[in-house]
Amino acid sequence: MTARESAADIEAAAARWVVRADRGDLDPAELEAWLAGDTRRQGAFVRAQAAWGLLDRGRALGVEETPQRQRIDRRGLLAGLGVAAAACVAVVVAPRLLAARYGTAVGEIRRVPLADGSLAAINTDTALEVAMKPRRREVRLDRGEAWFQVAKDAERPFVVESGPVRVRAVGTAFSVRRRDGGCEVLVTEGVVEVWSEGADEAPRRVTAGERVFASDSAGPARPVPASLEITRELAWREGQIVLDGEAFGAAAEEFNRYNARKIVIADPALAEQKLVGWFRTNEPESFARAAASSFGARVTVRGDAILVQSIAPLAE
Amino acid sequence: MHRSLQNNSTRVGGTETVSEGRARVVAWIGREILPHEADLRAWLRRAFATAGDVDDIVQETYCRLAGLSHVDHIGEPRAYLFQAARSVALEQLRRARVVRIDTVTEIDALNIELDEPSPERIAGGRRELERVRRLIAALPDRCRRIFEMRKIEGLPQREIARRMGVTENVVENESVRGLRAILAALAEGETEEQTAARRPSTHDRTRKRR
Repeated sequence: MTARESAADIEAAAARWVVRADRGDLDPAELEAWLAGDTRRQGAFVRAQAAWGLLDRGRALGVEETPQRQRIDRRGLLAGLGVAAAACVAVVVAPRLLAARYGTAVGEIRRVPLADGSLAAINTDTALEVAMKPRRREVRLDRGEAWFQVAKDAERPFVVESGPVRVRAVGTAFSVRRRDGGCEVLVTEGVVEVWSEGADEAPRRVTAGERVFASDSAGPARPVPASLEITRELAWREGQIVLDGEAFGAAAEEFNRYNARKIVIADPALAEQKLVGWFRTNEPESFARAAASSFGARVTVRGDAILVQSIAPLAE
Repeated sequence: MHRSLQNNSTRVGGTETVSEGRARVVAWIGREILPHEADLRAWLRRAFATAGDVDDIVQETYCRLAGLSHVDHIGEPRAYLFQAARSVALEQLRRARVVRIDTVTEIDALNIELDEPSPERIAGGRRELERVRRLIAALPDRCRRIFEMRKIEGLPQREIARRMGVTENVVENESVRGLRAILAALAEGETEEQTAARRPSTHDRTRKRR
């Protein structure tokens, strides 16, 4: 096991690459290989490039700028930056499986490749059925929540059905969560159409970075932009819960979706306290303890309950 | 003043190629992001005193900026930079798994940080240009001469080597040394006195980890 490369070493190497590119003595493949090794290298490289370029402003102090030559010199750098940008995108590869019905237990989170090349991430306590038909890819969500990365296939729309609610996509990524009386739809890529068979409304287009609640009876509401929220809410795909100012009570409910041991908050004032943090879905107790310590509360574990109580009544 | 500098680096024709787009991103980072780096580091050190490593967070943040395909939509580069760093920092806290809430809540201080454009910040372009001049002027002699020939006179490294009677490798090494000194100065956001006193040999000290 080698030691993690220090940020200072990376910075020194990045400066070397930039100067070598400026000199014209650069093997793009070598630079590519170096950049591919660590995202920090890509960051250090663009930073050093930017600083190097910043100094070109020194020209304003002296002779006229010569843009033509500058462009040629920069070609090597630009190639490298392209690699940096591309390498910043993570790729998920998973083995293929073929099956039609998927269920998860409480606390279980599964990533399932579907037969058409799409990917489903299935959250806790969920029932899902997938049918790949010649003209249509159909997914039924009876309970719970799932996120789909849909493989492009213009001939075969990908439709998620949950009760009367329908979400239709061609090639895009989104999640659907079944709730009482409707579905929560979060779109992470592309565009989907959302409607309810139980309502007369026309389908609504929901684009990347937007969320919408589709009521079973009244259909979807107006989509609202919420890209940061969406990223946070989909942290369950990595087994995480991310809180950014949510109330303790709501956060505890979220944990309770994943665990048989439920967090119980004894004091309503406590439940309204706001939290920021990043936690594992399957560690409700460490969450409860961390929260309690910051609110001045006490945690008692009794059987299947993690009880959080105020030590003294909270002053309003 | 500021305007003319901006025009300098954002001027493009009607048909912009992908690599020109990237050149604009790099120029934008130099112009709009680097000047805020010292403030960003100071904030990260305060907000994440016990979590992550500021240098790592900064490098990861630049990686995200490098991934931008265009920057015209970013109206508040400083705010954008802080947001990007915040999300990197949160990511690192996530990897650390157990989050100390008292550390993380300080992220809220971000909002305060962004609402206060200080007078120096507004002074913008002129100050920036002076800073570039000072950064170059503060380099050791040989290093400074190389930078002036490269950056002010626009001579290629090979020609600089010929004129100075040294090998190209010497020019390369001096350039790397100078660039590192400048990167360290940008990270520090130093005062004028410090700039005058700066030599690259202080580099290791200034890069010391918390």
